[in-house]
Amino acid sequence: MIRLSGRFRSALIIGGQGIRSRKLRTFLSMISLFLGVLAVVTVQAGAETAKTLRLADLELHIGKDGTRQMYIPSMPDAMDAALTTVAGKADAVGVMGYQAIIGEPNVVPINQGAAPFDNTDGGYYGPPMQMDCNPMTGECRPIKDEQAAQPTRGQAVELVLQGLTGDIRQFRPFRPVAGNWLDFSGDPSYSPRLVLNKEAAKGFTRYQIPAEMRVEGATANPTPRIVGVVDDGNSQPTAYVRVDEMRNWMPKTTANQMYGPGMQLLFAPTAGETEALVVRKITALGVSRDMLHVETINARKDIAEELAIIRWIFLGMAGLVLLIGVAGILNVGLATVGERVEEFALRRAVGTPRSLLAGIVLAETLLTGLLTAAAAIGLGVVAIDVGAGLFGSRVPQLQDLTFPWQAGVAGVIAGLVAGLLGGLIPAIRAARIPIATVMRA
Amino acid sequence: MSPLIEMVGITKTLKGQQEPRVILDGVDLTVDRGESVAILGRSGSGKSTLLSLIGLFDRPDDGHYFMNGRDLARIPERKAAALRSAEFGFVFQRFFLLKHLTAAQNVAMALVNGQGWLPRRHRRARVLEALDQVGIAHLAKQRPAKLSGGEQQRVAVARALVRSPSLLLADEPTGALDTETGNLVIEVMRAATDRGCGLILVTHDHAHAAKMQRVLSLSDGVLT
Ligand SMILES: Nc1ncnc2c1ncn2[C@@H]1O[C@H](COP(=O)(O)OP(=O)(O)O)[C@@H](O)[C@H]1O
Ligand SMILES: [Mg+2]
Repeated sequence: MIRLSGRFRSALIIGGQGIRSRKLRTFLSMISLFLGVLAVVTVQAGAETAKTLRLADLELHIGKDGTRQMYIPSMPDAMDAALTTVAGKADAVGVMGYQAIIGEPNVVPINQGAAPFDNTDGGYYGPPMQMDCNPMTGECRPIKDEQAAQPTRGQAVELVLQGLTGDIRQFRPFRPVAGNWLDFSGDPSYSPRLVLNKEAAKGFTRYQIPAEMRVEGATANPTPRIVGVVDDGNSQPTAYVRVDEMRNWMPKTTANQMYGPGMQLLFAPTAGETEALVVRKITALGVSRDMLHVETINARKDIAEELAIIRWIFLGMAGLVLLIGVAGILNVGLATVGERVEEFALRRAVGTPRSLLAGIVLAETLLTGLLTAAAAIGLGVVAIDVGAGLFGSRVPQLQDLTFPWQAGVAGVIAGLVAGLLGGLIPAIRAARIPIATVMRA
Repeated sequence: MSPLIEMVGITKTLKGQQEPRVILDGVDLTVDRGESVAILGRSGSGKSTLLSLIGLFDRPDDGHYFMNGRDLARIPERKAAALRSAEFGFVFQRFFLLKHLTAAQNVAMALVNGQGWLPRRHRRARVLEALDQVGIAHLAKQRPAKLSGGEQQRVAVARALVRSPSLLLADEPTGALDTETGNLVIEVMRAATDRGCGLILVTHDHAHAAKMQRVLSLSDGVLT
């Protein structure tokens, strides 16, 4: 123990004297290594940031990791049972999907099929266009008569309407944009309160839409009230509503159609009892257990797999840049050892073990690697800070972006590996310097 | 009582660019504690080679080498380093001072060698004592560039003496000095033998050799 610490202290003194007398060299090796370490840090920071952003997106879109998703078959009794079971539960939410058109009656909505507003023609959202082809000339043109028979396009938008039994934001953390979120306390209103997503809100601000809503299968046309706008990560115009405010307008029979509204239940990871209760009630109605498809959301794993290949490709390229830095350290290291041949021979002559000399050379390059890593990480932290400040107002996801610790770890590892690779050969050289040859008079 | 070192039938062949050359061909040498020995010999006769074997820089091809009764002829490098630190002091023709260190730091480097640890205070005391022995304690803070050749060589002698070795090995230590400063350097080394340190002095200067208790001559690979 005493011998070890004596060695260590000797190494500190000798290494310190060496670095102090060659500050410029240390600085030059740092420069040669800097780009490589910075590349590794950047790739890691980029990959981690992409993962975080993508995860935030998926959380909005699909749900937080660990959430259990259950699809209820479109059978009215089963859906009724599910709805009544989760109603008022804090850890589970039922979602019923409807197609709804808001606006002028008897017109084709601007965005047929609830297409995004910037993509209303074409794409897979619209109805298939029909072509009339002349068998003689082979010439084709769209059929006009069909359109003439249909009601013309008018001031109406089509939405996906999501009827909720409770606050879905515990599973999908929607970001508020304007107004309020739905209030689930109190009695349902006869004028359904809607919260639009950003795409739906775009339709309402762009077109003059009368406030009359037609929902497939509804008995009458309710007049909705829009209470707020959220960002739900969805590009399809969507509105959220209390399901009981919708069902006021629905005869029970509509849900009987095979192509009626679909229903999805979301459970918190802790809601095992509620989930089991739903399963028991529905299977009691004679529905097979196999028809209740349940899955646990694990977006983190999916994203990691999705990004892994890209990350490795970029890390490979960063590794090449790092290799150039290693060559730089190696070059400077060999030159330094060449310059210090007499010093090392002398130190060996006075009894310094060769392992200690090799260790000192290696420690100097490792320290160079660490200092470089610190510089690269520092730059990364500042860059992300500045970037988040500059673009945070435009891209909300960037607002509370921080430097991912994984990038810091990668930088330190890259610096140490480069120091090790670049210092190993000089260290071996230093240990092999023969005393007799150097000191001979 | 056994002698400090005893060499018997030491041989060494050096393999250079040309065909291998037998440099030492059965060297016998005995040195007692505190004894001073001069070794004379033509240039290229193998004096430095012999010193590098005595000082454990290198190992002989054949023969026996005892120090305090222990055979060192095939000692591993790790133990050799420890012995170089504890038992030997070296002075060379060139001074081999590190220019970025002061005189005191140059002397201290023999103490900062990973062989045992002395606290800073003790190191300082030993260094000043060694510098005092060679008469240049007042130059402790100077860097080598500010010192004369004789002063630099005395720093080197202090470095060799700082661990109180049992044998001082000097390879033409006055070769780069004028007569007067050369005499001074020989005198500080000879003074060390009064304190019980053995001395082997390789020199071309017969006057310096005459100050040693014994004078040997190396030729044709044999010491006589
Ligand atoms: N590393 C070496 N390889 C081969 N031959 C060497 C080496 N070093 C010295 N020699 C040769 O060994 C002989 C003895 O050298 P050395 O011991 O330095 O002699 P001296 O010190 O007496 O002048 C010389 O002829 C020299 O050329
Ligand atoms: Mg010689």
